[in-house]
Amino acid sequence: MISDTIKNEIRGIVGDEWFLDSPEDLITYSYDGFLPEFMPDAVIVPGDRDEIASVMKVANRERINIIPRAAGTNICGSSVARKGGIILAFHRLNRIIEIDPESRCAVVQPGVVNAELQKAVAAYGLMYPPDPASMFVSTIGGNVALNAGGPRGVKYGVTRDYLLGLEVVLPSGEIIRTGGKTLKNVSGYDLTRLMCGSEGTLGIFTEIILRLVPLSPAKATLQAIYADLDDAATTVSAIIGAGIVPTTLELIDRTVLDVISNYGDAQFSDKAQALLLIEVDGEDILVEAQGKRIEAFCKERGAFQVERASTPEEADRLWQARRTAFGAVASLRPNCIVEDATVPVKMLPAMIRKIVEIAEKYHIQIGVLAHAGDGNLHPLFMTDLRDKEEMERVDKALVELVEAAIAMGGTLSGEHGIGIAKDRFMSMEFSQTSIDLMRGIKKVFDPNNILNPGSFL
Amino acid sequence: MILNEIANEFDQCIKCGLCLATCPVGKTLFLEKYTPRGKVQLAKRYAAGDLEISEHYRDIFAKCLLCGACTVTCPSGVDQKTVFLAMREEIVKKQGLHPNVEAAVTSLLVNHNISDEDNSERGDWRDDIRDLPEHMYEKERADVVYFVGCVASFFPMVQSIPRNMVRILQLASVDFAILAGEEWCCGFPLIGAGAPGEMKALMDHNLEKVKALGAREVAFSCPSCYRTWKEHYPTDLKLSHSTQVIERLIKEGPISLGELRETVTYHDPCDLGRNAGVFDAPREILRSIPGLTFVELASNRNQSICCGGGGNLEMADAALSGRIAQNKIEEVRQTGADIVVTACQQCVRTIKGKVRREKLDLDVVDITDMVVRSISHG
Repeated sequence: MISDTIKNEIRGIVGDEWFLDSPEDLITYSYDGFLPEFMPDAVIVPGDRDEIASVMKVANRERINIIPRAAGTNICGSSVARKGGIILAFHRLNRIIEIDPESRCAVVQPGVVNAELQKAVAAYGLMYPPDPASMFVSTIGGNVALNAGGPRGVKYGVTRDYLLGLEVVLPSGEIIRTGGKTLKNVSGYDLTRLMCGSEGTLGIFTEIILRLVPLSPAKATLQAIYADLDDAATTVSAIIGAGIVPTTLELIDRTVLDVISNYGDAQFSDKAQALLLIEVDGEDILVEAQGKRIEAFCKERGAFQVERASTPEEADRLWQARRTAFGAVASLRPNCIVEDATVPVKMLPAMIRKIVEIAEKYHIQIGVLAHAGDGNLHPLFMTDLRDKEEMERVDKALVELVEAAIAMGGTLSGEHGIGIAKDRFMSMEFSQTSIDLMRGIKKVFDPNNILNPGSFL
Repeated sequence: MILNEIANEFDQCIKCGLCLATCPVGKTLFLEKYTPRGKVQLAKRYAAGDLEISEHYRDIFAKCLLCGACTVTCPSGVDQKTVFLAMREEIVKKQGLHPNVEAAVTSLLVNHNISDEDNSERGDWRDDIRDLPEHMYEKERADVVYFVGCVASFFPMVQSIPRNMVRILQLASVDFAILAGEEWCCGFPLIGAGAPGEMKALMDHNLEKVKALGAREVAFSCPSCYRTWKEHYPTDLKLSHSTQVIERLIKEGPISLGELRETVTYHDPCDLGRNAGVFDAPREILRSIPGLTFVELASNRNQSICCGGGGNLEMADAALSGRIAQNKIEEVRQTGADIVVTACQQCVRTIKGKVRREKLDLDVVDITDMVVRSISHG
């Protein structure tokens, strides 16, 4: 509990209007896109960096937990007050400060929505590549904190690859700047990238410098459907082996195709075991040639149905199944746990088979969506939290799945983060020495452990 | 409690937050409680007994346009609008009507319209019609009843809509009538006010009057009347929105359109487009006008963004409604069009009201205005 005196001190900093502690406000900041909910003690919506710095000084002095939260779309529980405290919301820090086409970068406040930035830079013929599924809602600050990825990751990488610099308020209230507008920078430890994916545990971003790339003039979109999962997998290897770097290479498995068919948005043949959605972008001549080659690869490797879009409308239609997939799966049962285990690309078919095996073993429904081009799987657990017995089976399946991914040389999370969803698995991937090192780093930044405690470490 | 019946809706919410992308209120006010996800969670917690209905709680649920953008955005198929309407009903049961809406509802139940006027004045919009026929469109029998709706009947800013409509129907020699003082409010505002139980008398009356004329079709220029009849009135009568009637009359030939050299865009009213599925008729009409250049808004059809006039928000929070209207005007500006056409008197009032208050240069018209302008050039 936070005393009224302290509450009033913080209220004085952010202003009455932006200090919230009614039950309605606390409830609506008790969750994010993950399952467990925790009531915070208060919510603040500061208007600038200096207010944040002042609040941090009070919080550090009084040992009050501060949990940064932007749009609250993350699905690892990294923005809930697991140990109580104050939610710091970024709604008001939503300005694009500068788009600098000559230096190919943008400077933004953390609350800028990803898609708004994409739209703004497109006007300059530029692109900000990371495109998480939440991009129409999620913010750049949240994307940096979680090191968000997206379907374009195969070619363009993830948030980390576009992060040039930060302004950060530390738990002490001190303000630091890391990196800058230069595209190259090897001075000192890379604090910028240390911050990226730190899930709100090291500092609070108040300004973010991002690298931009030229917007590709053309793209080719293909869809291939296979009767054998292995054929889809060898197609993936063939494309990558041929030196083609697709923008997007998505795989949808049999279970999800069935759900989509039942959902009524598209119908797939009974023999369909896997669907690949492939996109390449670049100069039009190159894209045209690559599109044809990929089409041939798909056919040679046993796809029984291959479509190559020739208009944006057709491309849109080919994307339909992928776009519908999550919703279709999510509406089947009350809850849907989106897993994020990631394996080396060539292990993808083995991992998918393992998932099918696990689903059968524990009698649960698991569909698989995968960013196949980078080995990033999204097994979707269709379940009901209220069913205790089923949840026990789900939990066992989760553990087995994560163990399998690690055993294949993979990681706990490709792009969703650890948060409170996977903190218990950290020792599977990291030695005690590595975890101690991370805890040591946390302690240097946040000696009193007030920033998002209970998450991740 | 009604909420038990819709518990499935909020249990289905996976808290992904994708609805935050399309909610005009949430995007304007930022705070999570004003977003569809926030409201669904508040409803869920209330139903679970974790939360009492307070004035604050009521205010949150009043700040909603009932535009349905969240419902079409939701990946897991939650019908948020049903949840929000059920919450408004629950709030009325526990706390009574919203203070800003109470007077309107009370007057509606007495006068049978949403203005303060006596319902006998419902047909006064006819006063300015030069060649008004002797029957003044009130007949013993008619094929079609034109249900004018309260707003277009009583608010001078949009009374051109019924005048246009009767002119078009007359030109096309449609055998139609209006109910004038015998037309009662369709009941739509009561749904938004959380008092749908009071609708029955209104529905019974309207149905009886339409039947007495032996009509086979009811035509509406108000999308909300149209939708309310379609969803709530127990009837087999053919129900058409003005855009559907006009599209038909253009196709069948009785109306011929003249050239208009203008660039227009079209705003899909929530209750006509997303909530009733009429997207093509208005576009067909605009495309039929020779010389007219039609450009789509960035967010159109199912994705159309509410003008700010929905959900009784104007009564609950006029300033918020105005801010959302301002966003609509910005979106229109982006198209480069000189005229924004819509097919709803409430959208016209909301957008035009804002244009006038801000002294902006933008022509805001109902689609019947465009049709009449085009006919005059024929």
